[in-house]
Amino acid sequence: MDVLSDEQEALIQRTAGEFLAAECPPSLVRAVEKSEEKYSKQLWTKFADLGWLGLCLPEEQGGQGLPLTYLGLVLEEVGRYLAPLPVHSTMVPALVLASFGTPVQMKLLERVACGELLLSFGIVERSGRWSTDAIALSGRRDGNDIVLNGSKYFVDNFRIAQKCMVAVRMFGADGGDEGPAAVLVDTASAGIHCEPLLTTAKDGESVVRFDDVRVPQSNRVGAPRQGRAAVDALMDYASVFLVSQMQGAARRAMEFAVEYVKHREAFGQPIGAFQAIQHMAADMVNAVDGTQLLGREAVWRLSRGLPARVEVAQAKSFANEKCLMVCRSAQQMHGGIGFIAEFDLNLWYRRVTSWTLRGGTTYEHRARIASALLDTPGEVRLGRALELPAAAPD
Amino acid sequence: MDFAFTEDEERLRAEIKAFIARQLTPEVKAQLIAEREGHGRGPLAAAFFRDIYERGWLGVSWPKQYGGQGANRFAQYIVEEEFYRAAQLVIGGGGTGVPAVLAAGTEEQKRYYVPGSIRREISFCQGYSEPHCGTDLAGIRCRATRHGEIFIINGQKIYTTGAQAATHIYLMVRTDPNSKRQAGLSILLVPMNTPGITIRPLWTIQSDPPAPPKTTYGEPRTNEVFFDNVEVPATCLLGAEGDGWAVAQRGLNLDRVGAWRYLISVMRDEDIVNLIKKDEPPTEGLRQDPRVRDKLAELWTEGQVCRLMTMRSLSLEQRGGRFKYEGSAEKIWAPEHGVRATEAISQILGPYAQLLNGSPHAINNGVFAHNLLGAFQSTVNHGSVQVMRDQVARKGLGMPKQRN
Repeated sequence: MDVLSDEQEALIQRTAGEFLAAECPPSLVRAVEKSEEKYSKQLWTKFADLGWLGLCLPEEQGGQGLPLTYLGLVLEEVGRYLAPLPVHSTMVPALVLASFGTPVQMKLLERVACGELLLSFGIVERSGRWSTDAIALSGRRDGNDIVLNGSKYFVDNFRIAQKCMVAVRMFGADGGDEGPAAVLVDTASAGIHCEPLLTTAKDGESVVRFDDVRVPQSNRVGAPRQGRAAVDALMDYASVFLVSQMQGAARRAMEFAVEYVKHREAFGQPIGAFQAIQHMAADMVNAVDGTQLLGREAVWRLSRGLPARVEVAQAKSFANEKCLMVCRSAQQMHGGIGFIAEFDLNLWYRRVTSWTLRGGTTYEHRARIASALLDTPGEVRLGRALELPAAAPD
Repeated sequence: MDFAFTEDEERLRAEIKAFIARQLTPEVKAQLIAEREGHGRGPLAAAFFRDIYERGWLGVSWPKQYGGQGANRFAQYIVEEEFYRAAQLVIGGGGTGVPAVLAAGTEEQKRYYVPGSIRREISFCQGYSEPHCGTDLAGIRCRATRHGEIFIINGQKIYTTGAQAATHIYLMVRTDPNSKRQAGLSILLVPMNTPGITIRPLWTIQSDPPAPPKTTYGEPRTNEVFFDNVEVPATCLLGAEGDGWAVAQRGLNLDRVGAWRYLISVMRDEDIVNLIKKDEPPTEGLRQDPRVRDKLAELWTEGQVCRLMTMRSLSLEQRGGRFKYEGSAEKIWAPEHGVRATEAISQILGPYAQLLNGSPHAINNGVFAHNLLGAFQSTVNHGSVQVMRDQVARKGLGMPKQRN
C-alpha cells in the first residue's frame, strides 16, 4: 500500500503538465470553442508525437504498455489545462479494443498510438440515462453484416473521429435478443446523420442517428459472449477517466481562487485572510483530494484487472457533487469578475458542469453502489471490495 | 501507486482474526471493559495482553532496539484495526506518548517508555486542555518552575480522558513564566502517582446509561486533573525546555489520523447497512426504499474517502514524510462524516434512533442513539474542525493570517 505517486508516476504527470502549461493557454481553449472541429489539430499532433497516446496501449501495437494509472495521471493534466484534445473520447474505446479486440481490431491501436486515428464512442440514448438497460439502438444480424438502427445522444467528438464504438443491443436474424454489444462503425458510413449540440462546455457533442447503417460482423468488439463485458468496460473507462479530468480541472479552479483571494483586498486586507474564505478553501481541498483518492483507486483496480464497477461508481458520484462544489466555490471567491465571459475561470466552471452530467449522474452511480451494498448476501465491511449482484442496475 | 495490502500483511490480518476468535472470550472482554473504567487489570486481561505481546503485535512499527518489531506502518495499522474492531481496544497508541518519545526523547527515555508501553505497563493520558483554553492551546497557564534538577508544577488540566487508568500524563506546561503564546511551553512526562496530583471525574452525557460498545466517544467519564506543588525530576522533560509546542505538534498530528480515528468515524456505516440488509422488523422494507438506498450509497462513498485519507496519512508516514496539511484535513473529513452519517442514520431509523442502551426496543443496544450523543465530540477533540480548517488553509494553501 502506498497511495501516493511513485517517482516515475510523478515524473510523467509533471512532464505532461509542463507540456500543456506551455502549449495550451486559455486563449487556445477559447479559440477552439469557436472552431468548427472543437479540437486543436496542431496540439493533437504535438501531443501524439510525444507518445502520450500510446502510454498505456500494448507494446505490440506501438504503445509503451504502462499501467492504466498513467493514463489517469495524464488525463488529470488534460483536465487541469482543459486541453481541447480528443484524448478521452479516443482512449476510452481504444482501451476496450486493447482488452477485447480481435487481432484485426487490435491493429487499429497502432494508428491510435501515433495520433492518426481518432475515435469516439456512443452509449447514452434519448432517455439520457447511463445504463446498459437504456441501450435500445439495435444491431440486427443480417448475413455477414450487422444493421444498425437508432440514435446515440451526447456523443463526444463524433464529427472529427474516423470510427465510433457504439453500444448496441444485438438481435439475431430471427429477431432474438442477444443482449448488449459494442460495435465499431466508420463515421462516414451511409445512413449516419449527425446533429451538433451546444453544451455548457462548448465542445463537440452530437446526436448521431443510425438509419440502416451496415457494418461487417467482424466489427463487433470481442467474442459474442463478451458483449456485455465490453460495454461494461466502455462505460467504466468513460466514467472513471472523466473523474481524472474533473479532478484536475477542479484543482486548477481552486488554485486560481486561492491565488485571487491572497491578493484581492477588501475591508483593509486580503480577503483570503478571513476565515469565511479560508474555511471554504479547506473544504475545497478535501473535495478535490477525496475525488483524487477515489478516482485513482478505481483506475488502479482497473489497471490490475480487479473488479472495479463499485469503485468507479463511488468516484464518479463523489466527483459530480464535489468538483462542481469546488468550481462554484471558486466562482464565489472571485465575486462579480468570475461571471464575466472574458475572465478565464468560467472556462473551468463550464466544463466541469458539463462533465458532471456525462458518464453517469450521482444518482445513477449511487444506485449501483446501493445494489452492491444491499442486494448481496453477507455482511459488508469497509476496506473489503464489494461485489455486484448479477442483475445490478448500471 | 498501490492500493492493496501485501500478501504478508493479509496473512498477518488473518492470523490476528483467528487469534481474536479464539482468545477474546466474553470473560476477557468484561475485564478489558473494567480496566477501561479504572478498576485495574484482571488476570485474564493480563494474560490476553501477554499473549498479544508474545506474538509481537504490540508496537509493531516501533524500532526493534526498544522492543518493537521494526515492521512497517501498515502492519501496525492492521493490528490496530483488527483489535479495535473486535473489542474497541486501542493498541499501539496515538501520537501522544510513544511516537512523541521516539521523535523527541532521550535515549534513556526511549529505553524506559517504549518497552514499557509495548508491555502495556505504561500508558499516557493527555494533558493539554485547561478550563480557559483548549482549541487555543497556546494560552496554556499550567506552570512548571525549575529549581535546579526538579520542576514544581502548579495548575489545572481538564478533559483528561483516561486519567483514572493512565500511569503517566503527557503534560504541556509553561516553563518560562515571562513567555507568551507558543514560546516557553514544554512537555513533561509525569507519573500519575506523584504526590500533589488530584483527579476529579467529569461525567459525560454518555454516563447514564453507559454507552454500548462501538459508540463514538462513548466514554462515561473524563477528568479534571489538579497539580498542587507537584515535584518531578527535570529528566521528565521531553525534548528541550521551551520547545514543547514543536514536540506536541507532531504528536497531535499523529493523533488526528490512523485506525482509531478512521474506525470511530465509519463503523456506523457498516452497522446500518448490515442491519438494513437483514430486512427484519423494525427495519424491514427499508432495503427497498430508494431514498434510503441513495443515502446509504452516499455515506458509504464518504466512508471510503475516510479510509483512503487514512491510507494517505500512513503512506506519508511510511515514506518518512511529514504532514503539510493532510492530518488536519483528515481530522475535518472523518469526524464530520461521522456526524453526517449519525444524523442521516437516525432519520432513516426514525423514533427508534432515540432509544438508549437498556431501553425496550432499542436497536443494537442503542448504539445509534448513543452516537447522536457522541459523534459531535470528535469534531471538537484533538483540535476542533474549525482550527483544522485554519491549518489546511494556512499550511496547505499558504493563505495569510488575519490582521487585527
